[in-house]
Amino acid sequence: MFLTYLEAIRQGIWEEMERDPTVFCLGEDIGVYGGAFKVTDGFIDRFGPESVIDTPIAESAIVGAAFGASLTGMRPVAEFQFMDFIGCAFNQISNMVAKTHYLWGAPVPLVLRGPSGGYVHGGPFHSQNPEMWFVHNPGLKVICPATPYDAKGLIKSAIRDNNPCVFFEHKYLYRRIKEEVPAEDYVVPIGKARVAREGRHLSIITYAAMVHTALEAAETLSEEGIGLEIVDLRTVAPLDREAIAETVKKTNKVIILHEHSRTGGLAGEIAAIINEEAFDSLDGPIIRIAGLDSAIPFSPPQEQYYLPKVEDVVREARRLKAY
Amino acid sequence: MGNKKTKSRQSSNGNRVGTGALARPAERSSTKGSHSADRNLRTYSIPDYRLEHPDFTVRQVTEKDKYGHDHVRFEVEGNLDAPVPPIRDSKYLDKRQAIEIYRWMLLNRKMETALENLYKQGKVVGGVYFGLGQEACSCASAYALDRDDWFAPMIRNQGSMLVRGFGARDIMMQYMAKAGSPTRGRNATAHFGDIEKRNMVSPISMLGDLIPVMAGVALGARLQGRNLAVMTYIGDGGQSTGVTYEGINFAAVQNLGLVLFVESNLWAYSTPSEMQYRCTDLAERAIGYGIPGVIVDGTDACQVYDAAHEAVERAHRGEGPTMIEAKMMRMKGHAIHDAADYVPKPLFEFWKKRDPIARFENYVVREKKWLTPKENQDLIAGVEAEIEAEREIAVNSPMPTPESAEGGVFCENGCHEIKPKYGMPKVKKGTAYKATEAAVHLK
Repeated sequence: MFLTYLEAIRQGIWEEMERDPTVFCLGEDIGVYGGAFKVTDGFIDRFGPESVIDTPIAESAIVGAAFGASLTGMRPVAEFQFMDFIGCAFNQISNMVAKTHYLWGAPVPLVLRGPSGGYVHGGPFHSQNPEMWFVHNPGLKVICPATPYDAKGLIKSAIRDNNPCVFFEHKYLYRRIKEEVPAEDYVVPIGKARVAREGRHLSIITYAAMVHTALEAAETLSEEGIGLEIVDLRTVAPLDREAIAETVKKTNKVIILHEHSRTGGLAGEIAAIINEEAFDSLDGPIIRIAGLDSAIPFSPPQEQYYLPKVEDVVREARRLKAY
Repeated sequence: MGNKKTKSRQSSNGNRVGTGALARPAERSSTKGSHSADRNLRTYSIPDYRLEHPDFTVRQVTEKDKYGHDHVRFEVEGNLDAPVPPIRDSKYLDKRQAIEIYRWMLLNRKMETALENLYKQGKVVGGVYFGLGQEACSCASAYALDRDDWFAPMIRNQGSMLVRGFGARDIMMQYMAKAGSPTRGRNATAHFGDIEKRNMVSPISMLGDLIPVMAGVALGARLQGRNLAVMTYIGDGGQSTGVTYEGINFAAVQNLGLVLFVESNLWAYSTPSEMQYRCTDLAERAIGYGIPGVIVDGTDACQVYDAAHEAVERAHRGEGPTMIEAKMMRMKGHAIHDAADYVPKPLFEFWKKRDPIARFENYVVREKKWLTPKENQDLIAGVEAEIEAEREIAVNSPMPTPESAEGGVFCENGCHEIKPKYGMPKVKKGTAYKATEAAVHLK
């Protein structure tokens, strides 16, 4: 099947709900309307209003209710209309959901999912990539797929996982990326990166929409004889330390690329992992390409300035290659 | 919404018509033929089970000390000499049940006295939180739950945990951070849970978050075909949080069997309820949620039980949430470090006369004569012996090893098998998958 990124997620949740009656969805406008981005379009007709619940605009209640239901053995999939709004439920996620298994031993099989990311002129409250708020919360798995195949395989893994998973869908990719996805059931393991493109001169470690930015840059760079290796993390917590070390040991030069703000961003953590696992393999400085340390501005020229671009990757790759 | 069968129309005060004593039709002040202004004026009523209505307020006053410096303190004004009312006979409790509740209350208090002593001996890590003066609310409420129902205590509801089957040693070991505590040393106080046997959700220190969680427990159970009562508590301070609103509203909209005790114990740490909210009684907020609300005297175990029982029955019938405001006073500081000097002394004297255990003892022994003085003495001695035995076990149990801080962050390698607790939800037969062609936000 040739599926968009959005359709792959939609199909993944649909198939899990058909497979396992303990899976149900809740969120704002997900039922009759089918969700702001239509990820759950048609679900309420197929699975009924008991299992596809339109909630009040109350993110803490959505997470709290999902958590409570998970304690009875259900597998809730809660949608955030935009991942920007997940901050409203932060205490519930950080102090209730994430700490439960460690503190009192109850498993929490739930998925918190929704659209994140920029490049769509959504403005400061509809463009954020707040994954780092959760990476720094032990007890959560944080997933950020880049392709339809991974999005479907990972949403299925997240639903089947016995732990709370925060699933960031990149809204820029929703209907822009299409690929062939197997018709039969499959999963993609959480916590495993993949090499999106092999190369021998330098590595880019990235995830989500930035994978496609890196792939585009790699085309330009290959014409100049620079072989870019692209590691798509797929999961940002837990990080695939082995895959990070492996690519650095292979190319000896590394760029870390992410969309969210630079300070306190994932690149800092990955640089520390490289320091711990592959310091002797480095032949150049670790380079970070990231969003600005500001809110994401609305106006298209400003937004473009804020966000990492193909030319940023090309420029930094040339600089690092020459180092 | 998953509640088609049970959802009934609500009368304008939020109380459903004809579903028991809690749900009385609205009393309208206006009648036909009065002025149009009156017809437009809606008034509501909240059932009040109390036999007295304490009438005083606390306010801040600024005084000059002997150096002429301003000094702000709390002052109470009102009728503090009112006689103590009798216990209101329960509509539901029989002799055996009343004696059991009395015993739980004693166990609750004597356990906390033992904890206070353990603290003074330096055996407690951190502070101790007391439910002194609130034992009737904790014990008689939890006593109204059926075995399959769920609950989530707050820090002062240690009595509820005993009623639901935890041992005093569990709570003592939590306070002493022992390896054998329910959280194996990882958390303190009442902060533990059990989803297997006792159906208890662990509280967290942030207030109000348990309310949507308990609504979710009821939602999960309903998807599995069961209408359960899910009981939790919130204080007059904790109810100020936004998540409290979100949680009650979610339970109301989804018609879930939440039984919410609002423990109006007058002090949120050092802040009096007068500075926490503006309405007269917090139960009035039920009107805004469209659910039944009721007021009870939190120092009267019979009133607490009756209101809890009726709310639990409503929940089991699938009729939705109930808010019960229990009025009483927190008779110690926020925790053991806090001498509560900010509380005007006459307030302590007023509420000390309304001690829930002394009142219930008088009711059971002298008024009802359900226990002879000798039987009462034996019962008290039995509770003391039980606490002493539990204390002994808790004190002599080991501390955790340092390395036991590691592990268990995730459920992995088959540490839990997850299955629906009350049965597999029914699968709706439906159409095959079809791709969406809908329009999209932010193309």
